[in-house]
Amino acid sequence: MKLSPDRKLDIGEVLADLEHYRPRRKGWTWRKRVEDQAIGPFIYRDTAENLERSIPLPAAHHFGDIDPQSDCVITTEIASGRFEDDLRRMRMVAWQGADHIMVIRTTGQSHIDGLIEGTPEGVGGIPITRKQIRATRKALDAIEDEVGRPINFHSYVSGMAGPEMAVLFAEEGVNGAHQDPQYNVLYRNINMHRSFVDAAEAKRILGEGGILQLDGAHNANATAKQAWKVRPELLVQHAINTAYSLAVGMPSGHIALSTVPPTAPPAPKLRLDLPYAVALRDLFGAFRFRAQQNTRYMESDTLETSVTHVLDTLISRLTSADIQSTITPDEGRNIPWHYNNVAGVNTARQTLMGVDGLMDMVELKEDGPLREQAREIKERAVLFLEEMLEQGGYYAAVAAGQFVDSGNFPERAGDGIARDPDGGNGAGTVIPRETGYGAPVCSHFGDNVYTRGEAKPCTDLGGCTLCDPAKIRYIDELDQEDNVHRRLEASRGGDVDTALRPEVERQGDGIVCVTLFVPADPGTAESAALEMAYHMGLKEPEVISRRVMHPAEGSVFEIKGVLDMAIDTSLLPQLESERLLPEQEIEDWVRAHGLVVVAATLGEDEHSMGLHEILDIKHGGIEKYGFTCHALGTSVSPEALLDEAERTNACAILVSTIVTHSDVHRQNMRRLHELAEARGLRGRLLLVAGGTQISDETARECRMDAGFGRGATGWEVASFLVRNLRGKGE
Amino acid sequence: MSCNERPDEFATRREKLRGLSDEELHARFWELANSLVEPLIAEARTHTTASIERSVLLRMGFSSQEAHALAAQMAERSLLGHGAGRLVLELAKSKGISVAAAGAALLEGSHWEALP
Repeated sequence: MKLSPDRKLDIGEVLADLEHYRPRRKGWTWRKRVEDQAIGPFIYRDTAENLERSIPLPAAHHFGDIDPQSDCVITTEIASGRFEDDLRRMRMVAWQGADHIMVIRTTGQSHIDGLIEGTPEGVGGIPITRKQIRATRKALDAIEDEVGRPINFHSYVSGMAGPEMAVLFAEEGVNGAHQDPQYNVLYRNINMHRSFVDAAEAKRILGEGGILQLDGAHNANATAKQAWKVRPELLVQHAINTAYSLAVGMPSGHIALSTVPPTAPPAPKLRLDLPYAVALRDLFGAFRFRAQQNTRYMESDTLETSVTHVLDTLISRLTSADIQSTITPDEGRNIPWHYNNVAGVNTARQTLMGVDGLMDMVELKEDGPLREQAREIKERAVLFLEEMLEQGGYYAAVAAGQFVDSGNFPERAGDGIARDPDGGNGAGTVIPRETGYGAPVCSHFGDNVYTRGEAKPCTDLGGCTLCDPAKIRYIDELDQEDNVHRRLEASRGGDVDTALRPEVERQGDGIVCVTLFVPADPGTAESAALEMAYHMGLKEPEVISRRVMHPAEGSVFEIKGVLDMAIDTSLLPQLESERLLPEQEIEDWVRAHGLVVVAATLGEDEHSMGLHEILDIKHGGIEKYGFTCHALGTSVSPEALLDEAERTNACAILVSTIVTHSDVHRQNMRRLHELAEARGLRGRLLLVAGGTQISDETARECRMDAGFGRGATGWEVASFLVRNLRGKGE
Repeated sequence: MSCNERPDEFATRREKLRGLSDEELHARFWELANSLVEPLIAEARTHTTASIERSVLLRMGFSSQEAHALAAQMAERSLLGHGAGRLVLELAKSKGISVAAAGAALLEGSHWEALP
């Protein structure tokens, strides 16, 4: 399967022949760091290999459209509920620099005691099944070829079916997974014996499959009432999962800590979060770090969230991060919209490039409050671990409500999550292994009669699926109604390619977001804003963000609603939009040819502001590309302009003019053309007119080569000149 | 203050840790963590679950539906402690049939008497 940048992803092609699809590689892939990399005009210190195709940051066009890539992997989490929509979203974020795609599972999958098959629709995520994994991995193969970098696919090995999910992931080339039995125990109330026994098997499978494991400690941060007070506990949770993983035999390089700076402004964020980040790295230096962005204190304001996430990313660089995870800035108000996945990735990308090389210039102080507080957090964590042992171990400590208590240990608020070791989902399902217990397969943990010397445990079987993928059994669909094929048939009825609807989450959902400022008190303003949205024709208008600018002067609202109409693309006017030449290309050509232009306001016109914006380097005018500009001033006659053009061997005359009632401006433009022709200059001279009320059409009617109206830029004029002059040359 | 509430006693509790260097503190941290997971690992080494047994059957080439049904029927007969994979493999060996055929036979209700 091969993608073309100008064509949409064909879901039908993705779904074809999945029965025979095999992943092209297994295990995790890191970016390839490049030391002192020259990109455009700069030397970068903390970058990896460039992409072959991408969409650079908006300001990149000032620097030759460069798109440097950070040396850490960048994550985005995708949770639309339909994997066919997820795939389009994955392609967009890959073009913006993400190479770790986490697919969120549907609500409730944790409690299903077994695997799901097929492609049923999910809520807040997708049901993770073999078919969906294959389709996603196959699409990602094509997407990574398109952008030129491996993409890691990631999901979750938690819940009641962890070992089976781990086998599925290892068989199907999933590259990363969350696995932490504490997550089951604390947040899913799955029995703790069951969770830890299952986890050992799952971790052995993940470890031998080269799959990067992320833990679940960050959830304590997201759950705690006062997130900065659980910092000692976070160290404890990381330690339990890490020590358990090592004991199972997982290599340290495949163990990653999922860590979040706990706070957000107006809390003194760096003063609280930086000592914690340092303490964590002091204790867990042998492992990998997946730095997550804060979700605990997200509100509905996406700009506020983005600023917090910039600070989170700064902490990553001040300490370390192997993976910089991103959170969509709208997660605080709705299921993330696809363009906000891109916004989240760009927050990390922009920040990481902005702080490139930072640690060559600054260092964290070795004494003072930073180290003192880091030490204090570590001591509190040691006291926490000691008390757990005194209580009788992990299970007893959980039963006593030690975890997710909002007190800063040893302070206790008595509001922790307590679980009964003999209770919860799956209680009583752990079975002692009989003497002679056996499992004739690879990547199995614990006592096993088939583990004999050097031979593989699956020798008697003649090979397991991990050694011989041909033995894997693929199930296509079990539900003939709830599946991707039915959904595609339904959406094709609307012909999504020729009847265009706006969308934010799923194909053609029609959702749009409008921003409104209403000058009234907050209550009145909100009611009025909703009415306004309704009158715009939006169905189901809903305020998703509100900010008071002043209690009496007004508030600003973001309102989402459904625009229930489709645009027939065959009825759209064919826009003749010409792409501007790249700025460097313009400059190279202008300087190589020593181009001169003559400019003035024409006739009886004393206005010169607009012309200066087109010419002057300080206004971004054409001078910056190397044009020599002879500006003759205001109220200049056509004759004088042509005299100067002849004297300086100019390639173009740029005139500015205002529209007059008696059409003098038209007469002046025509006269300029006629005189140029009479002098034999018209063949080599481009004549360009501009002005706030001038259109290209008007100018051409008056025999100019082009006209530029309000809002035109020097880049547009320069691009026009070079494109036409090159044409003359050829 | 409820029985589970406690003021921040850090200032007094930390006294015993003050004398430790950072390296010693880190070593203490890991020693405690390893002690806590030791009994958990021991339990995992000597116990199994339906999900583990289904995951073994998957690795032996059974579909998720077959694995689910086999493990459930073995659990009903209190046989999972022997290992679902071992039961199927040893049945196949003793009957001289393939592992797939042994699993299919069990699902049809045959050969259960041959299991331990």
